[in-house]
Amino acid sequence: LDAVANLAGLANLNQERRLIEAAQSDPSRFAELYESNFHRVYAFVARRVNSRDEAQDVTAEVFHQALRNIGRFQWRGVPFAAWLLRIAANALADRWQHAARGVEVPTDEAQMENQAGRAESAEVERRAMLFQLVDRLPADQRLVIMRRFVDQKSIREIAQELGRSEGAIKQLQFRALETLRSKMGNTSEEHP
Amino acid sequence: MSNVSVYDELDQVIDQMLAAPEDEPQAGTPLGELVAVASELRDLPRDNFRARLRLELEWEAAGRTVSAIGNSAQLPDFAAKPELTNTESLPGLFGKAWSGYPVRRSNMALSFALHAIMVLAVGAGFVMVKSTLPRVDTRESVSVRLDPYIFPVGATESHGGGSGGAAEKIRANKGAAPKAAREQLTPPIMLRNLQPTITAEATVIAPDLALPRTRQIGDPLSALAAPSNGPGVGGGIGGNAGDGVGSGRGPGRGNGKDGGCCDGLYAVGNGVSMPRAIYSPEPEFSEEARRVKLQGEVTLLATIGADGLPRNLTVVRSLGMGLDEKALEKVRTWRFDPARKDGRPVAVQMNIIVNFHLY
Repeated sequence: LDAVANLAGLANLNQERRLIEAAQSDPSRFAELYESNFHRVYAFVARRVNSRDEAQDVTAEVFHQALRNIGRFQWRGVPFAAWLLRIAANALADRWQHAARGVEVPTDEAQMENQAGRAESAEVERRAMLFQLVDRLPADQRLVIMRRFVDQKSIREIAQELGRSEGAIKQLQFRALETLRSKMGNTSEEHP
Repeated sequence: MSNVSVYDELDQVIDQMLAAPEDEPQAGTPLGELVAVASELRDLPRDNFRARLRLELEWEAAGRTVSAIGNSAQLPDFAAKPELTNTESLPGLFGKAWSGYPVRRSNMALSFALHAIMVLAVGAGFVMVKSTLPRVDTRESVSVRLDPYIFPVGATESHGGGSGGAAEKIRANKGAAPKAAREQLTPPIMLRNLQPTITAEATVIAPDLALPRTRQIGDPLSALAAPSNGPGVGGGIGGNAGDGVGSGRGPGRGNGKDGGCCDGLYAVGNGVSMPRAIYSPEPEFSEEARRVKLQGEVTLLATIGADGLPRNLTVVRSLGMGLDEKALEKVRTWRFDPARKDGRPVAVQMNIIVNFHLY
């Protein structure tokens, strides 16, 4: 099983390398790298800032910097996400002068490879997966989740907006969370 | 625990969590795992943030730097309403835009040209439709049909007439001639006895011509509306003597004497030919009738004299909106090859039906 996982990881790395080289020769191809790493970078940043607006600002800054500097990226067999997270860590460090919530942020790929870094990476991956799963929820469940947790609206307000009963909205909320919990559990079992 | 109470309990926990974001979710409760998931969802990015950032990156990758719209350190705020200055009234035309899409000048010019062509095509369509529609609307047709008036068929010249009156100062009023009968019980009179001992319908002694009936009786050839029996004497309506109606003498109708009607007139048929119109300009539509698209028939009753001139024109069936007057105006100018009996021109009475039609 480990051999299969290693082969799959190798295939992913090769594919990512081709995407990076494509983006280096044609910056418009950067969108593919952005899509595959957005949730990862956002999840990394969101754990270290106090507000959603700040998390979005830093995430945007990371990708703009990455796009500007993609030509200087040198492939060393490390996932592209590590490079992005290093940019994010530097951006956060610049903002807080190395005092972000008292948590040390990894500043290079090597640091991300040590034990603490691996745990951190696993947590980032888990959160990124959760955010991706929200995007894959049925439309009505996703809408309820976004209104409830992003806009922080009450069940009554959501019911009025969607023209449904409060009971129906609570049910959608429950089902959405249940779906997310279930899929996160499956993902953890697949990738312990 | 029922599903409903689970939904409510979960919602209460989420409410508390959203109200106090610093508190960690309680683990170990039946809903603990769901609450833990919900806790992490508080950090979800806004709905449009991901798509918006991608657009910004595509814009930058396409070579349009953010500095193109001003401050290079500030990303365009797509949610905010753009404020235009005089120098940036058409930023898209010069490759700048606030929509987030990279704009090329050539695309903008092409779009502008296509819109201009579309506007011109629509405008030309309106002009073409507007210039052709009125012609369709104003196309009109007037046809005239000559019908022999229902008149007692006979090869001999009709004679007779009647008149009457109450020695009044004004002429008899206009109205329908009374019903024709063989015997006369009550002469026609306008100002009648309101409490008669025996009631009987007013009649004249004449052939029945099936003339149009109205509630107002009087002399059909009069133009006066004020009720009057006329300056004649004898109890009828008119300017002469007798119990009839008209300018003759006696109990009949018309300008003859001793009863009967229509002195000197022939009926078409039985050896009497139809008069033939030799000069018949078509009546015109009145403006009011054209505006409301009124169409139909106006029926005129006319006497076509032995000299071919129409006389005694009256409207038997009216259409209104000025079409009656238009029909009378033109038919008065008509000239006929008169009706003939044994090769000799004679006067006949007939209907002239004018058909006003719009299409």
